[in-house]
Amino acid sequence: MTKDFLTNILPDSLSGSVFAFEGIRRSLVLMNGPTGCKFYHSAISDSQYIRQMEFDPLKFPELWYFGQPRVPCTYLDKADYVYGSENKLEEALTFAREHVKPDIIAVINTPGAALIGDDIGRIANGIIKEIPVVVMESPGYSLTVWEGYERACEALMSSVFSGSDRDSIKNDKAPGKVYVNILGLCIWQRNWEGDLEELKKDLELCGIELNCALFADCTLSDIKDLKRADLNLVADPVFGKKAAILLKEYFGTDFVECSGIPVGFKAMEELMDEICRRTGKESCFENFMNESRKARARCYAHISRINSLTGLPKGVKYAVHGTASQCLGYCRDLSEYLGMVPDCVSCTGNEGPERDDLEKYLREKGYAGSLGRDILETEADIVLADGGMIAKLKEKGKLFSGIEIGMPTLGYVDVCPKTHLGIRGGLLLTEQVLNGLLY
Amino acid sequence: MELAIYGKGGIGKSTISANISASLAMDGKKVLQIGCDPKHDSTRQLLNGKEPETVLDYIRSVGPADYRLQDVLLKGRFGVGCIEAGGPRPGVGCAGRGIITAFDFLERFHVKDDYDIVLYDVLGDVVCGGFAVPIRREYADRIILVTSGEFMSVYAANNILRGIKNYDGDRSRVLGIVLNCRNVEDEEERVSAFADAVSLPILAKIPRDEIFALAEREGRTAVEYPGPVSDLLKNLSSDIPDLPLYKAAPLSDEELEECILSVKKKDKTAHQHVSGNAGASITDAEDRILDDASHKEHKEKEQYTEQENAEEHEYRPGYLSKNVYRNEPLHGCAFNGAVTMSSNITDVPILAHGPLSCIYITYQTISSTGRRALFERGTILPSSLSPNLLSTTMDENDMVFGAMDKLLNRIREITEGDDPPKAVVVVSTCPAGIIGDDIEQAAALSTERTKVVVIKADGNLTGDYLQGMLTAYTELAKQIIDKDVPKVPDRVNIVFEKVIAKNTEQNFKLMESYLNRMGISVNCRFLTNTTYDALRSFNSAPLNLLANRDYTGLLLEDFFKREYDAEFYPEEFPVGFYETCKWLRGMGRYFGKEKEAEEIIREHQGEYESRIEKVRKVLKGKTLMIITYNHELDWMIGAAFDAGMQIPFVGIMNFSQDEGFRTELKETSFIGEITEDYDAMNRHKDVERIKPDILLTNYDSGDIYPGTICDTIPMCPDCGFYSGVEMLERWIKASDKGDKNGGWTNDKGLFDKYFAR
Repeated sequence: MTKDFLTNILPDSLSGSVFAFEGIRRSLVLMNGPTGCKFYHSAISDSQYIRQMEFDPLKFPELWYFGQPRVPCTYLDKADYVYGSENKLEEALTFAREHVKPDIIAVINTPGAALIGDDIGRIANGIIKEIPVVVMESPGYSLTVWEGYERACEALMSSVFSGSDRDSIKNDKAPGKVYVNILGLCIWQRNWEGDLEELKKDLELCGIELNCALFADCTLSDIKDLKRADLNLVADPVFGKKAAILLKEYFGTDFVECSGIPVGFKAMEELMDEICRRTGKESCFENFMNESRKARARCYAHISRINSLTGLPKGVKYAVHGTASQCLGYCRDLSEYLGMVPDCVSCTGNEGPERDDLEKYLREKGYAGSLGRDILETEADIVLADGGMIAKLKEKGKLFSGIEIGMPTLGYVDVCPKTHLGIRGGLLLTEQVLNGLLY
Repeated sequence: MELAIYGKGGIGKSTISANISASLAMDGKKVLQIGCDPKHDSTRQLLNGKEPETVLDYIRSVGPADYRLQDVLLKGRFGVGCIEAGGPRPGVGCAGRGIITAFDFLERFHVKDDYDIVLYDVLGDVVCGGFAVPIRREYADRIILVTSGEFMSVYAANNILRGIKNYDGDRSRVLGIVLNCRNVEDEEERVSAFADAVSLPILAKIPRDEIFALAEREGRTAVEYPGPVSDLLKNLSSDIPDLPLYKAAPLSDEELEECILSVKKKDKTAHQHVSGNAGASITDAEDRILDDASHKEHKEKEQYTEQENAEEHEYRPGYLSKNVYRNEPLHGCAFNGAVTMSSNITDVPILAHGPLSCIYITYQTISSTGRRALFERGTILPSSLSPNLLSTTMDENDMVFGAMDKLLNRIREITEGDDPPKAVVVVSTCPAGIIGDDIEQAAALSTERTKVVVIKADGNLTGDYLQGMLTAYTELAKQIIDKDVPKVPDRVNIVFEKVIAKNTEQNFKLMESYLNRMGISVNCRFLTNTTYDALRSFNSAPLNLLANRDYTGLLLEDFFKREYDAEFYPEEFPVGFYETCKWLRGMGRYFGKEKEAEEIIREHQGEYESRIEKVRKVLKGKTLMIITYNHELDWMIGAAFDAGMQIPFVGIMNFSQDEGFRTELKETSFIGEITEDYDAMNRHKDVERIKPDILLTNYDSGDIYPGTICDTIPMCPDCGFYSGVEMLERWIKASDKGDKNGGWTNDKGLFDKYFAR
C-alpha cells in the first residue's frame, strides 16, 4: 500500500533566490553548480515568465544553457568540486558578458558548490565590470523559499545601493504624481502576472502609478528608482515584508501591508482605501469603489441564483493549503464574502507574524480547529492548493473541486493571466467556487 | 595490513611513511603507499624525486573509458607501489572531497589486492569527512600518529584521535605515537605527557638528523643509509604488524592545554638526551653511506620510476551512462535519476539525504507527468502523483558537522514504527557526498521487517541523471531480488520503460493486452509502478521483455544476463506496423502462441493498409527531411516508404541517453544522406538546400520555410501498429489548409513588439 511519508514538498531558499532574480527584466541568473540544479528552475522561469520566443534548444548553447532558454549553469562535476569552479565560472561569465549582454547578473552557488568555498564574488567582479553583479555565496540549506527570496532582496539592495551612494540617489518624481512600489510578488507564485495586472489597475483607478514591482517584471532602472515611491505596498508579507523594511531603512519609505494577501473585493477595498489615505488620493478612491461595486453586483446575480435554489455556497466546507498569507487571504474572502466554512487550513510555514495573524483570525471566527488539520484527510468540497496537492488528493480518491493557488500547476496553460486578488480576482474566485459546488 | 599515518602538515609524516614503506619492502613485503595530501609529495623519496600524475589530475583529464591503473601507479624503490591522490591548489576547491574521489577511483581497480601492506600517508588534522576516509571507510586497520612537541602538532594529533573515536567507538585501531623531533623546548616531556594522557605508547623517537636531508637530496629513503636512524626506523617498521592496538581516547581542548602547557621545563641536558643524534654532521652521514655495501647493491637495481606493470588490473566501473563514459558534460544529476527510479517501487519510501531543494526538484521531475496526465485525461498515476519521499532536510549546521546521526535516526523512526515498510531506500545528494557522510553505514540498520537499501548517488558526484538511473537499477536489483524463487511459466518481466514519458502507461496497457491475449502475464515492471514483492520475485519470470532497446536498455539487459542468467526477448516494445507484427510473431513462437499472435495481426492489417492507401494519394513523391535526437525511426520511415515518400536527408544529433542510429532501411534507395552527430547549426542551410515538403524535428524552431510543413517527432513514440501512419495523417491535415503552419506564425513581429522582455 502506498503511504504518504511526506505530505508536501516545497522548494527551499535556493529556488527563492533564483526566482527572485529571474523576475528582473534582462537579468541573467547564472547557477554555479551542476545541471541537475538548473533544469527545474529554467523550465519554471520560462513557463511562468515568457521573455523570448524560441523554445528550440538549438538556439541556446549546449554548454551553460543545456537546451533551455533560462538560468545557465557552470555544469560542475566531481572534478570541479575538488579543484574549484573558477575556470568554468570565468568561461560562463565571459560568454554572458559578450553574447547575452544582460542588464544585471546574479551568480548563485548551488548547495554543493557552496561547500567548496570558491570566492565567486572576486571571480565575478573580475570579469563583469560594467553592470551590477549580485553574488549569493550560499543558497541556504533547507531554508524556506521566501527566505531565499528575502536573501536575494538583501543582496540586490546592497549591490545596487551601496552605502555611500544611497543618499545621492536622485528622486526625480514628477510634480503631482503619486508612485507606489509593489513588494512581495515572485514569478514562482502561480498567478503573479495576473496579480500584478490587477494591483496596477486598481492603483491606477485611484490615480496612483506603479513605480516598481520588485522581482516581478521590473527593470534594473525601476530598481534604481525604488526611492521615488511615496509608499511601498506589500502585496504578500511572507515574501515582501523584508524588502519593505529594507526600503524603509534605506530611504525612509513607509509601507502598507495586507494581513494576508488581498483576495477578493473586500480586502482590496480596504487596502486601496488605506493607500489612498496615506498618499493623499482620497478623492480618487471612489473610482476604484465604483468598479468594485459593479463586479460585486455581477457576482451577486450569480451567487443569488444558486443560493435561492440550493442555499449554497453558505456552509460549504473548504480547505486551503498555502503560505500563511495565502491561507489568511483566502479564508477571509471565502468565509466572510461567500459564507463558507474552513474544514482544513494547512499552512506551509509554521512560524512568523503572518502565521500568528492567521491563527488569531481563525480563533476569533471560531475556526481554530481547522488550522493544522492534515490536508490529506480533508473532507472539503472545495480545495484551494497547488496542483501537486490537488493531484495527490485526487489520487487518494477524495471527491472535491480543486482551485489552483500555487506552484506546481496541474498543467493548465494560462494564456489570459489569472488572479484571485481584487476586483478581477473576486469575480474569478466566485466563478470557480460556484462551478465547483455540488448541487 | 592497512596502515594510516596521520600528522599535522609539515611534521614529517611523508618522510616517516616513505621510510616505513621502504623498510617493509626491503624485508620482502609487497607495499603500496598512497599519498593523501594535495601537495602530492608523499612518495617523492621513493621515486627518486619524480612526481607521478595524481589520481585527481588523471580523472580530470581522462574519460572512464580510457582509465588505466598504470598511468597513476608507479613502482618506486624496492618495488613499493606509489600513488598520489593529489588535490587542488591551496584556497580553492575541496581537498577532502578529492580524497574521497581518489579512493573511489582506486577501489574500482581493486588496487590493494596485489599488496601485503597498504600505507596511507594522510594530511594532518581530520578537518573534514574527506580526510577521514582512510579511518572511516575501514580502510586502515592500524593507525599511527606522527607529532612533534609543538603545541599545534599535538593539537592536530588529538584532533585525529577525536576523528577516530567518532568512527570507532570502543574499537581499537591505534598503534601509538611517533615523535618526530623538531628540537623544540620540552619536546619529549610534552609528547610523553600527551601520550600518557591519551593512554598511547610512544613507538619511536625519531631524531632530527641530517641523514633525512641527504636522503631527500639523493631521492632516497633514510633507511638505506646504515646507522642509528635507519635502525630505529627499521625496528619500528618490523614491529608494526605485532604491536598491540589501542582505543582512541582524545582529550578535551582544556585538558590538552593543561597537559601540554603545564609541562615543567627540563634542563638542557635532558633535552639533548631526547634529541639523540640531532647534532650529527652531514659528513658523518655521508661516511656511513660510503661504507654501506648493501646500498651499492640496491643502487645497481634501480628501476625506481618504472611504471608498475598493471596490465592485469581491469577497471571495473560498473555500468556507466553515456555522459560519464564519454566524459561529457553531465545532464541532470544521479541523485535525481536514482530517486525517480526508486520511487517506482510504490510501497517503499525513499529517504533523500540532503537539503530540501534536492528532493523538491526531484519531486517535480517525478510528479509532472502524473499531474499532466490527471489534468489532460483524468488518469491517475499513483507512483507519479504520490511518491513516498522523505528528506533529512540537511541544514547549514549539518554541512559543517555532518548529518549521519540525523540520517540514522530518521531511518530508525521508519523501521521502528508500528507499520514499517518492507524496505526504505536511502539516496545521497552532492552536499552529503562532499562533506563525506558515509551513508553505507545505514545498511546496518536493516531489521527483520524492513530492509535498508543504500544508493550512494552523491548528487552529481557519481554522474548524470542516467547514471543515477543505472545505479538505482543495479543496486535495487542486487539488494532486493531473491535469486532462488522458482520459475513460473507464461510470465514475463518488463524491463526499462521510460518512466517520465507521457505515454508509458498507455503503451504498457496496449502491450499487456497483447500479452494477455496470448495467455502471458506480467510479473514485475522493472522499474515502473511496481512493488517490493514483485521486484523480489523478479526471477520467477522465465522471459524478460526490454521495452526500450537503447543504450540504457542494453546495459540493463547485460546486467541481468550476467547477474541472474536472465533470458531476454530480442526485440524492444514495437512502434509501427512492421515492428509490431514482427514482435507479436516472435512472442507467439517463443510461447507457442503463434495462432493467437496471427489473430491479433490480422485484426489490424486491414486498417493499416486502408489508412496507408489514403495518405499515399496525397503524400506519394513528397520529400521528408528529418533532423532529430531519436536514434530509432524505422516505425515512421517504414510508413513513409509505404506511402511512396522520399527521404533525402536524415540528421541524427548527439543525445545524452542514446547513441548509434539504428535502421534496417539504411540501404534502401528512398533514403538519401544520413548524417550522424549532426551539427544543428547547419540546419538552416541544409533546409534551404533540400527544400523538403515536410521538415521533422524534435523541437519546432519557429523558423518559417516557405512551402515546407514543419512538424515535431515525439521523443517517446506510442507503441503499436499505427504510430507511423498517424504521423503521416497529421501532415495531410496540415497540408489541407490554406496556410500550412497556421496564421499565428505570422505574428512573430507582434511578439517582438509587445511581449519580448
